[in-house]
Amino acid sequence: MSGGKLFGAVSPLQTIELVQQDLFPSTSNVPTTNDINAYAYLVTILHHSRVSDSHKAFIRNGVQWLNEESIKMYKKTYMQLLSQERQNVLKNIAKYRWGENWIDTILTYIFEAMLGDPIYGGNKNQAGWKWLHHKGGNPRPTKALV
Amino acid sequence: MKYDVCIIGSGAGGAPIAYELSNAGFHVVVLEKGNHYREEDFSKDELAVSRRDMFTPLLKEEQHIINERNKDGSITRYEGSEYDWSFWNGSMVGGSSNLMSGFFHRMKPNDFRLKSVYGEIKGANVVDWPISYEDLEPYYAKVEKIIGVSGVVTKHKFAEPRSSLEFPYPALEVNGVTKWFDASCKILGFESIHTPRAILSQGALGRSGCSYSNFCGSYGCATGAKGSASAALLQKCKAKIVPEAFVYKLQSDATKIISAHYYDKDLKSHAIEARIFVVAAQAIESSRLLLNSKNKYFPNGIANNNGQVGKNLIFSAGGVGEGRFHFDSLTKTQQEELMQPGLFLNRSLQDWYEYKDADKSYKGGTIDFLFEHANIISRAKREFYDANGNIMWGTALQKKIHKTLTTSRVLTFEVFNDWLPTDYCNVSVDKKLQDKYGVPVGVINLYGHPHDLKVGSFLAEKAKKVLENMGAKEISASISASPPPNLVAGGCRFANDARNSVLDVNCKAHELDNLYVTDASFMPTGGSVPYTWTIYANSFRVADHIVKKL
Ligand SMILES: Cc1cc2nc3c(=O)[nH]c(=O)nc-3n(C[C@H](O)[C@H](O)[C@H](O)COP(=O)(O)OP(=O)(O)OC[C@H]3O[C@@H](n4cnc5c(N)ncnc54)[C@H](O)[C@@H]3O)c2cc1C
Ligand code: SF4
Repeated sequence: MSGGKLFGAVSPLQTIELVQQDLFPSTSNVPTTNDINAYAYLVTILHHSRVSDSHKAFIRNGVQWLNEESIKMYKKTYMQLLSQERQNVLKNIAKYRWGENWIDTILTYIFEAMLGDPIYGGNKNQAGWKWLHHKGGNPRPTKALV
Repeated sequence: MKYDVCIIGSGAGGAPIAYELSNAGFHVVVLEKGNHYREEDFSKDELAVSRRDMFTPLLKEEQHIINERNKDGSITRYEGSEYDWSFWNGSMVGGSSNLMSGFFHRMKPNDFRLKSVYGEIKGANVVDWPISYEDLEPYYAKVEKIIGVSGVVTKHKFAEPRSSLEFPYPALEVNGVTKWFDASCKILGFESIHTPRAILSQGALGRSGCSYSNFCGSYGCATGAKGSASAALLQKCKAKIVPEAFVYKLQSDATKIISAHYYDKDLKSHAIEARIFVVAAQAIESSRLLLNSKNKYFPNGIANNNGQVGKNLIFSAGGVGEGRFHFDSLTKTQQEELMQPGLFLNRSLQDWYEYKDADKSYKGGTIDFLFEHANIISRAKREFYDANGNIMWGTALQKKIHKTLTTSRVLTFEVFNDWLPTDYCNVSVDKKLQDKYGVPVGVINLYGHPHDLKVGSFLAEKAKKVLENMGAKEISASISASPPPNLVAGGCRFANDARNSVLDVNCKAHELDNLYVTDASFMPTGGSVPYTWTIYANSFRVADHIVKKL
């Protein structure tokens, strides 16, 4: 993974993990980060047999563009910013088409992790389904498609 | 071994032939490019089925070129893989019939004579069918019994004649909201129709009844209640099924197909010989196979010496719409009724199957009503944007999603009207781009006639009235010329006149003695209903003809 070289020891995946927390913060009565397991799920997506290479590249490139915006605004990478500064960076990138798409993509995988079948490692104890009063369909899968 | 019949494609178009011919004692082989799934393989895995599209090919391996015709006549070319634009529906034994929702409507008598009844429409190739509703009626009735259609026959203005009084299988259970729907229709003077479904409400035909799994359309059925080609036909006959067999070429002499050639999953080539060949790879792919099967007798593709293969491709025109019911305007009992999972709404409107607008007669269509799909990820995703279209995140998004999904529910409608056949909407093959097998990909040349939009919009306005009367909010509709990939027909018209069609009245190619096409490719016009009942019925009709011929 490139990115890391440009911005010191921080890997793009660590940055994405922080973005995930910024986009879906811990709130009471909402599934926890541990229940959602969004980070591990995103790693699965980056190696998924049915996700296109260009989409995987977009997820990774987004980190680089996010950091470019962060440096432009605060002369620091995203990981080095305070929480409010990071929100400002997100608000700024949301104005660009790529940025809006990238946030949408990262959010989508958070929700896939939280609301997909627990067999994928997220949605622990059906925490996501319970939060939204949803009943998963039967029969449930016995094998994850990765 | 030489088979009596070789069928290419195992879906709704191919399976009735396999069922009838093998049950009549003939040796039948079915070549199917997809995997062989059975009931026990199906689950309600939204990630695999709906997010990762596990039942369709990867676009980087197999795709289509889509040429969209712009208003000024120019063409915009899209490579499916680049734009994530897929025309695949279900590559698996039983085809996309495994994934259908099973809303079943017969075509009506006037659908078979569109030109004589409603006249020519400028820019459209409207014709009458070479058969009538009366010719197909016994086969519609046969489908009811063998595939399993459940429902209640509703008498209404445009009800088609039936040879039996009732459906052979009792209706499915309905949601509490259905009575709100019926009450609103009564107030508005609309005739609420019980939607016939290709779903068994109780165990019958060696299959289980519906479990109201709440995940029907787009998902395989684990009970066998859905009338898929696999559960209803292929599992009930002795036809040999070869899965993961992609047919890339038909070999012929001047008058007969000699062999079908397929690649297995390791890309090894095999040949199958048979007395009769039946192509049913779904419209688009059937035309593509014929066009890609060139030889010295058929330099432009099999059965294409008069240049008709791929022409007059049609889809189901119309679109979708919806309205949302919020808890704050409902009583406690109504809230509970609204949120009942699994049960169906099962209502349709056909009041405007024909209608007059400003003194002009129009062929109208059908409106089916159903709850928004239960897929929870898609429902959460549609909340990502605020009222101004800006993306949201954080606690604001969490609150919005929680409130919307736990205290409201969307009722949707689907409008079906004729997609008029035109010179601009057809299938060809690309000169450069090939799929993973090294075979030229299909090109879909798209064009929707403006008349289709007019009719679709008229019908959508009526559907919106019902939602309004029921008390729904945020009512909207989207009627457009973008084609539904799962409702596709045409490309190999049947007609008596060989000059402007590919198939004869029995769906046999005019130019060859032993080639049939039995998916929706044969349809010169589509009727204003989803196609599958008609595809099944016609395939049973052709099967009778082939049995006699053999
Ligand atoms: C989500 C969804 C919902 C639907 N809901 C409804 C509904 O409510 N009502 C309704 O009437 N219809 C519905 N349909 C449409 C219905 O499924 C189709 O009309 C019907 O299945 C078409 O039959 P077919 O034989 O043409 O194609 P299919 O059933 O798709 O069968 C074609 C088969 O051919 C195979 N094939 C293709 N190319 C080759 C090749 N070269 N070699 C070997 N095999 C090949 C394919 O893999 C496929 O299995 C729905 C479809 C979908 C996807
Ligand atoms: S059990 Fe019923 S609801 Fe579920 S997929 Fe089968 S037919 Fe559809």
